[in-house]
Amino acid sequence: MVKKRTKLEVIKDILIVLRSEHKVKITHLIYKSNLSSGSIKSYINNLIKNGLMDEVNNSGKKYYQITQKGNKFLEDFNKIMVFSESYGLE
Amino acid sequence: MFVLPSDLRFYGIDSVMDFLIFLVAILITYQSYNIYNLLKEKNYKFFSWAFLSISIAFLFKIITNFTFFHQINLLQTYFINHALLERIKLLDWINFFSVILYRIFLLVGFLILFLIFNKTERKEKVILFVYLSIITVLFSIYFSFVFHLTLFLLISFLTIYFYRNHKRIKSKNSLIVFYSFLALLTAVFIGFFSSLHPFFYLTYEVILLIGFFILLLNHINLKDVKRQ
Repeated sequence: MVKKRTKLEVIKDILIVLRSEHKVKITHLIYKSNLSSGSIKSYINNLIKNGLMDEVNNSGKKYYQITQKGNKFLEDFNKIMVFSESYGLE
Repeated sequence: MFVLPSDLRFYGIDSVMDFLIFLVAILITYQSYNIYNLLKEKNYKFFSWAFLSISIAFLFKIITNFTFFHQINLLQTYFINHALLERIKLLDWINFFSVILYRIFLLVGFLILFLIFNKTERKEKVILFVYLSIITVLFSIYFSFVFHLTLFLLISFLTIYFYRNHKRIKSKNSLIVFYSFLALLTAVFIGFFSSLHPFFYLTYEVILLIGFFILLLNHINLKDVKRQ
């Protein structure tokens, strides 16, 4: 059985997609991060609110890109994961 | 009394131990607050508040030790005049309030941890729990047994939680956290007898410090975690 991803792991997966590709459309993000359109919207809203990713309008189309804070999160992800798991905070 | 006045024979060694505990608690506060700043997840915020409260508690514990130490020194003075009595009285008040604040901050810290790990979403449950907690904290101010028992129960529940977490995660770090809380639980148990003999008080302090040092180990290990 495939282990269910934690919230932190989902965030990491989204940010990795954004880091590897400069600007990403929501459809591509859904495909790459393996999430439903409903759940990805709530993740996107939270990540934008927390400053981990940005929404960019280009010729009437919405694109998403990673921010500096998002990159910092990815750099520190393993540490955050170990910290969270050791206390059961996730 | 739970916070045994620092015995003169310790010459402030217990204050040094309390200061080290304060430093460990502050470090954990800082690390969890950094994660909160990145994620804006309220659990990390409450976690940092809990350890901030614990660290403040130990600052008040240090004040308690020093005021008692100073008071005893003054009482040993050969000539006791009015000014000296006034100073002793003032130290008595500082000692009284620092004991109260130590108990309040320590209980609040562990209560917050308890609330984080017992995810209760229902408002009425939270309100009832907070109400009962306030009553317990108020009783703990005057009845050291209530304070001690409450602390023991809270740390027991947390230890059980961290044991279950380790069974689920099975990592070195989750084991470290479980061991550290087991040490804290042992310390608090020994603390029950601290008023009987200074030996129990010193053992309580040493095991408490060991508990926090084990917790520090978990945070030192984070430095070795590879970056993404």
